[in-house]
Amino acid sequence: MTVTEGRSTPIVDFDIYDPSLAYPVDTVQEKVAELAAKGPVVYSTAHGGHWIVTHYKEVHDVLRNPEIFSSFPNNLVNAGDGKFIPLELDPPEHTAYRVALQPLFSPNRMKALTEQIRSVVNELLDGFAAKGEAEFIAEFAHELPTRVFLALMDWPLEDAPMFTEATDIALMGKPGASEEESAQARAEAAQQMFAYFQKIVDERRANPGDDITSVLIHSEIDLADGKRLLTDEELTRMFFLLLIAGLHTVQGSLAWAIIHLVNRPDQRAALIADEGLIPSAVEEILRIEAAVIMGRRATRDVELGGAQIKEGDQLIVMLCSANRDPEEFDDPNTLDLERSPNRHLSFGAGPHRCLGSHLARLELSIALEELHRRIPDYDLVESDPPILHASQVRGCMRLPIKFTPSA
Amino acid sequence: MTDHDTETLRGTRRLVVDRSVCAGHGLCYSRSPEVVDCDDSGYPVLLHDVLELDEHIAAAEEAVAVCPERALTLESA
Repeated sequence: MTVTEGRSTPIVDFDIYDPSLAYPVDTVQEKVAELAAKGPVVYSTAHGGHWIVTHYKEVHDVLRNPEIFSSFPNNLVNAGDGKFIPLELDPPEHTAYRVALQPLFSPNRMKALTEQIRSVVNELLDGFAAKGEAEFIAEFAHELPTRVFLALMDWPLEDAPMFTEATDIALMGKPGASEEESAQARAEAAQQMFAYFQKIVDERRANPGDDITSVLIHSEIDLADGKRLLTDEELTRMFFLLLIAGLHTVQGSLAWAIIHLVNRPDQRAALIADEGLIPSAVEEILRIEAAVIMGRRATRDVELGGAQIKEGDQLIVMLCSANRDPEEFDDPNTLDLERSPNRHLSFGAGPHRCLGSHLARLELSIALEELHRRIPDYDLVESDPPILHASQVRGCMRLPIKFTPSA
Repeated sequence: MTDHDTETLRGTRRLVVDRSVCAGHGLCYSRSPEVVDCDDSGYPVLLHDVLELDEHIAAAEEAVAVCPERALTLESA
């Protein structure tokens, strides 16, 4: 990384989309920590120039001030071929969509899924527990959120491979292709998804069920132009967002749970000995590796962390380094399953706080319980190490594990 | 956690939520269900006005400490 000192703000060429950040070895945290050491806000020349916000306080300030830091565009690349709804809308326009969605993902509604999630978890574990080895992503971490989420939305499980491919392209572009080819592939993937969701919308308009998809299609929402149903375009853009937000993130956090607990046998032993640790363990797993890096755009000139940001400037907000800011967390690079308080920002903050956070916490809790009950001595495979990826949703693509076979 | 003598606080404290800042993370009612419940959208509902029990004061302090938005405060009643 070349660094030239600007007048007051460090200038870097860091690019969160650079595949070499995470492959063959995941260095994202290390590289972002180097940025954070330079200052709370640094400037990168990548993607036409953007600010990178690295410290907890400034990250929090950006997320809680939507009137200064607009949510559009959220991505440095055009991932959704237009706006993701409601992710890339600002209050007050954002609020009505949010009000419609929030009850559908409320803690009580999610809690009602507990036994259903547990049976999915155990069904997946049944598939490999006796083998003593698994590719944890394909056989568990990818499957769990996919099955739970598709059931909630009532989208066909057999279409999951298509969903996966389209969301992979939206997030990471085309592996090994040029920027132009990737942009083309992203646009095509988004259009493919919109066409697919349009079919679902048409079908559910005629035959509503009690799934979230049907509820959203048939809900009247208090929008700026009056109380009305959502348009087909609003619905398909919302569904595409829910798909992207609901799958890769949980997949990554499940993988990081395995990786970090393998590295800390003492912490794992404590967790196996005391199930009461699970809730705070989930929070700590979330803290130590935040998946999401969101974008914002300044709506006016503003000073942030000593940087002079101009109206129209693009920013990205590094939750992964905010969560390791020593001003907020003691011993921030150490996994401490009993950490308290743990005010991590992995689900963001402010009006766009992750809609799926209650579901994500539940999936992670149940997965940790059952994994440690059934295959507690899981280990990585030295000759076949995990494959992680960078981009604005960080995560894990492949994670071979081995363990003592169990029934 | 504070190390005061709660004996003197009974009946003198109230948990307050700043609704303009609360984003519905839900950590308060997960951690301290004795003093905070949630509504159908996942926003906190305070269960008591003035906190009359030591354990409720302790639970309220925990709720204040877990909030990522710093939306909760323990105020004089």
